[in-house]
Amino acid sequence: MPRARMSWALTYLALLAMAGYNLLPFFWMAASSLKTDIEVTAFPATLLPRTLTFGAYGRIWEQEGFVQFFVNSLKISGSTALLSALLGVFAAYGLSRFDFRGKRALMMAFLASQMLPGVLLIGPYFKMLSLVNLYDTHFGLILAQTTITLPFSVWMLKGYIDTLPVEIDQAAMIDGASRWQCLLYCILPNILPGLVATMIFAFLLAWGDLLWALCLITTPEKQTMTLGITNLVGQFRVLWSDVMAATVIGCMIPALLYLMLQRYLVQGMAGSAVKG
Amino acid sequence: MPLSATPGGRLPVAAVPRDIGRAMIGERHTAWWFVAPASAAMVLILGFPAIAAVLGSVNLGWGSAKPFGVASYVRLWSDAEFLRTLLNTAIFVISVVSLHFVLGMGVALLLNLEIRLRWLFRVLAILPWTMPDVIGGIIFRFMFDTLYGGINAVALALGWIDQPIDWLGRPGLALFSVIMAEAWRGYPYVMLILLAGLQAIPREQYEASEMDGAGPWQTFIHVTLPNLKMMLIIALVLDSVWECRLFGMIFGMTGGGPGQSTQNLTLLVYKHYFQFFDTAYASSIAVVLAAILMVAAMPYLRIAIRRAE
Repeated sequence: MPRARMSWALTYLALLAMAGYNLLPFFWMAASSLKTDIEVTAFPATLLPRTLTFGAYGRIWEQEGFVQFFVNSLKISGSTALLSALLGVFAAYGLSRFDFRGKRALMMAFLASQMLPGVLLIGPYFKMLSLVNLYDTHFGLILAQTTITLPFSVWMLKGYIDTLPVEIDQAAMIDGASRWQCLLYCILPNILPGLVATMIFAFLLAWGDLLWALCLITTPEKQTMTLGITNLVGQFRVLWSDVMAATVIGCMIPALLYLMLQRYLVQGMAGSAVKG
Repeated sequence: MPLSATPGGRLPVAAVPRDIGRAMIGERHTAWWFVAPASAAMVLILGFPAIAAVLGSVNLGWGSAKPFGVASYVRLWSDAEFLRTLLNTAIFVISVVSLHFVLGMGVALLLNLEIRLRWLFRVLAILPWTMPDVIGGIIFRFMFDTLYGGINAVALALGWIDQPIDWLGRPGLALFSVIMAEAWRGYPYVMLILLAGLQAIPREQYEASEMDGAGPWQTFIHVTLPNLKMMLIIALVLDSVWECRLFGMIFGMTGGGPGQSTQNLTLLVYKHYFQFFDTAYASSIAVVLAAILMVAAMPYLRIAIRRAE
């Protein structure tokens, strides 16, 4: 069957083209990070490094504050994920298991708030946080990140709780459990994978943010990873090999986490609207 | 624990009915205990600043020296930079979202086939989207660099061009380059939503279409697309909203330049806040952007609420 064989070949050719297209910028980033600083400013550029060196990584590692930025980003993204999961799981349980006046409006508010642009809030945030002495603090930045991560955490977690039958709650309550115990001992263990996925999403959204860090952080030691890398490029003479080494480090955690999360990606991106 | 101490928190054993709906009656206040913390947090960290921004745009905010009025909104329509930026944003979003749909649909159809190593191709297909957008911007800024960039190097080596092109230094080319970069980074998002839709289409429909003698193209038009309608709307809305408020990618790649040629509304708001310190004007642009996004998001909000109930 020549026709079938041809379409088979075309399919794999297309898949390989896709893989090449997707990998190209990653390849460029990795290759450049391994070049010497002389080669990286050669014209025309070389595609593969002529001499491999990890010098750029060493310089980035020793650069003032870079390790600190990494730790800051971990701390801020981690706290954002924890805070939105903690608040989110209660709200998700309430929305999933109860009917009450204003429920629809509340759900709409959580959903619509995800569509708001962050720049709408930066001006008032600047003033609000200055007022309570939280400007230029990590806690202020965490609160700002939570404006995005909390509403989607609520929706995502509600989606997971909805998949559990109400009989679980009823059985627990017949045995004398309170609603609170029901959530803690019956619901939480069952949605654990979903809870972890939700938290990783929140973590990654916070990790990739630049706008909030740019607006709310001024002290150099308090900068996040993305802000630190952006500032490397802002310098007068850009050391591209160093910058690329920094971006490799900055890309690694999200790439690994997203690939682990594959199964949950669609649900996380589009809330429960894409279920099924 | 206030949660278990509330009156309705613990139902008497005999009172637990089998019917779900009735089990909820009398627990109305318990529900509020559960949703209160998140709701209060949202009012405080999002509702309050959002309202403050709207009020600030008409000078009803903190310490606004100017009198109340819609002057900043009037100024918008005679501000050439704002109108230029609005046009930029429209061109950017329409181009990027169109490219996302072409690439996303193509790759989703490929991954929906029965192929070997599907998991590997799936992983590869998602990769661009895992890159934080500002990092993507910085990498593409380097790739498009006139002298040290890989794109000019390849084009020169292949003989497509004689002189290195100043991609990010010329207005039209810069906008084109930013569109190409974001087309690459964002398309897996659309792809994943469409792939989820494709996988939900029942096999029988394809078999029936094949029995009726339909070719691949006819099958795509009459079976695949109608089944995907909901997912297409969802992907269209969510992707447009994301691209409308994009910040890091453009900030990292061009900073909005040269001139204002790649500046979008988000960057313009940022500029008015932090370079010109014109709070009222910056918030009025942000309010216009928020209004555009809300209107654009309407179809998605409706679908999502309907499905969640």
